[in-house]
Amino acid sequence: MPRKLLLLGLLVSACSGGVADDSVAVDDLPAVTAAGFESHLATLDKPAVVNVWASWCLPCRSEAPLLNEAHLRYGDEIEFIGVDVQDSQGAAKEFLAEFGLDFTHFFDRDRAIPNFYGGLGTPITMFFASNGELATIHNGVIDERTLALNIDELRQTDH
Amino acid sequence: MEFTLLWAVLTAVALAWLGLRIWSEGILDGGFDRLIGASVAGLLIGRVTAMALQGTNPLTNPADLIIVRGGVHTGAATLAFVITLVWSTRSTRPELDALAPAVLLGLAGWHAGCFWRGACLGSPGELLWTWPLEGSVISRHPVEFYAAIGLAVAAWLVSELGWRLWLRAGTALAATAGVRLLTEPLRPSITGGPTLWYWGGIAVGLSAVAAGWMMERSTVDVPT
Repeated sequence: MPRKLLLLGLLVSACSGGVADDSVAVDDLPAVTAAGFESHLATLDKPAVVNVWASWCLPCRSEAPLLNEAHLRYGDEIEFIGVDVQDSQGAAKEFLAEFGLDFTHFFDRDRAIPNFYGGLGTPITMFFASNGELATIHNGVIDERTLALNIDELRQTDH
Repeated sequence: MEFTLLWAVLTAVALAWLGLRIWSEGILDGGFDRLIGASVAGLLIGRVTAMALQGTNPLTNPADLIIVRGGVHTGAATLAFVITLVWSTRSTRPELDALAPAVLLGLAGWHAGCFWRGACLGSPGELLWTWPLEGSVISRHPVEFYAAIGLAVAAWLVSELGWRLWLRAGTALAATAGVRLLTEPLRPSITGGPTLWYWGGIAVGLSAVAAGWMMERSTVDVPT
């Protein structure tokens, strides 16, 4: 019976699972240095959530839909930025097209940005105050509650 | 699986095991195995459902299944847990009632496991026992501890109930959903939380209590 339930669950999931929209065109991601990224953050007039990802990173696939949802909900108050590390432009664009991550992304082949802020592994989610200062860094895949809590912290601190 | 989550799971398993020792009346051999098996089934189905709803096909991305932090659908996980537990105890229906307090204590352990994960805090609040995130000045409710206390109290209350068919099991389901529903407003959320599922859990739990009562009554009323 559990095997039947599992099979049923997998079948339902297979039927309802999303399909990558290959028709979405994505431009090359702009390359950025750590200094350039820091300057970019300083020009923002709102807090920022920075997600370090890569197309080859399994947990990044899992958290991508959550980040998309968070961006849709809080995009007006908080800047969402993606940093693609140790990747190729082609694979990065395929990943963005698959998940429709419709916010700013930078290309960082050498991991200069996560190294600069002391992040470990991939994915990493960093939370920046509106003055560009790093508030929190979360190494590893982030769950909904942790993301929501840290976004709430940014919103409360900045008001 | 990250080690912090693993510690939370171990806390839940340890408290469920303790619950089975404290409230052992009516539990047949293999009760602990059935609880663990049902929990694994719940986790698996909950994860598959969450992946499907997020647009990730579990057949083409099977490795994503282990990324539990990516999301587990509460409703699907609960349904799978209950169905598996019912199936595994189908010949001994009253055992569901016997297992109920231990399940609640295990859930209390899962919530208290927030301590290992550093994920106990919720909405801002200014009470004696609230505290801020590291490096912050904004005090927050330890909402997962509230839930853990609520579930532990519910475990004890359920253990004090009588042995009418599904009284304990139904009350446990309704109490779990009720505790989650009451604490949900204190949890920051992106998607809004599974509030509807909590209401559903309360309704199903209370219906099970009523159904058990009616089934027992009809059995008694039938002339022999």
